[in-house]
Amino acid sequence: MNDPRAARLVERALRCYPARWRRRHGDEAAELAALLIRDGASAGSIALSYLTGAAREWLTPRPGGRLAAAACALLVAVCSLGISAVLLAPPAPARAAITSTRGAAAGASHGRGHARCGPGSSDPVPGLIRAMGQLPRSVWEIEHVRAC
Amino acid sequence: MRVSGRDGQDVLRRVGEASVLILISLADGPKHGYALIQDIKELAEVELGPGTLYGALDRLERLDLIESLPADDRRHPYRITAPGAAALRVHLDSLERVSAAGRLRLRLGGI
Repeated sequence: MNDPRAARLVERALRCYPARWRRRHGDEAAELAALLIRDGASAGSIALSYLTGAAREWLTPRPGGRLAAAACALLVAVCSLGISAVLLAPPAPARAAITSTRGAAAGASHGRGHARCGPGSSDPVPGLIRAMGQLPRSVWEIEHVRAC
Repeated sequence: MRVSGRDGQDVLRRVGEASVLILISLADGPKHGYALIQDIKELAEVELGPGTLYGALDRLERLDLIESLPADDRRHPYRITAPGAAALRVHLDSLERVSAAGRLRLRLGGI
């Protein structure tokens, strides 16, 4: 390839392929691109074709990749179970707030009342957000300003 | 994966146009990537992108419809296998039947 920019573009596209593909076809693919560019094809369209091919290569399941696919499926299942468990269980701040407010609910000063406000401790916070604990703190703060 | 067209099943129905064109191009002898692109351009006026070409070659090789020959410099020539030729024959027969039925219907419909 005479044009270094075209060569770089194609080389970058070829780098997107998995290593095993590059070991097998890499040199030949670069040479083929050079020949096609010499014939008048644009480097951009060749790079785009290689990029599409690379995406397809990554997405095509391999016979040897069954174990990896099984491992991924197991990981996804474990993560799903973990997320479900987090959503179902009340978070620690919410539990702490519930126990502290029971004792100090009546006659609390405004300042102390303010102190017991927290993520998951007051009614305006929706159940789902409460379950997620710290994550939607900004949402809780908006609700907190409205409520307190 | 081993697929054979000998049992009369059209295994090429789902492999895509590029794969069928590659098999047709290889039917008259082994070719490497650049020669395949040039031949298919002449034969069917279809410009195969190099990414599409390598994807189709890998797929056909996995199906044992083509095989890679020892590299000539950096170029790998490919050759159609016996199951590949059988599968291509079945597919072309099927296309011929569909094509004939289409022409007949156009005639009957007077279009």
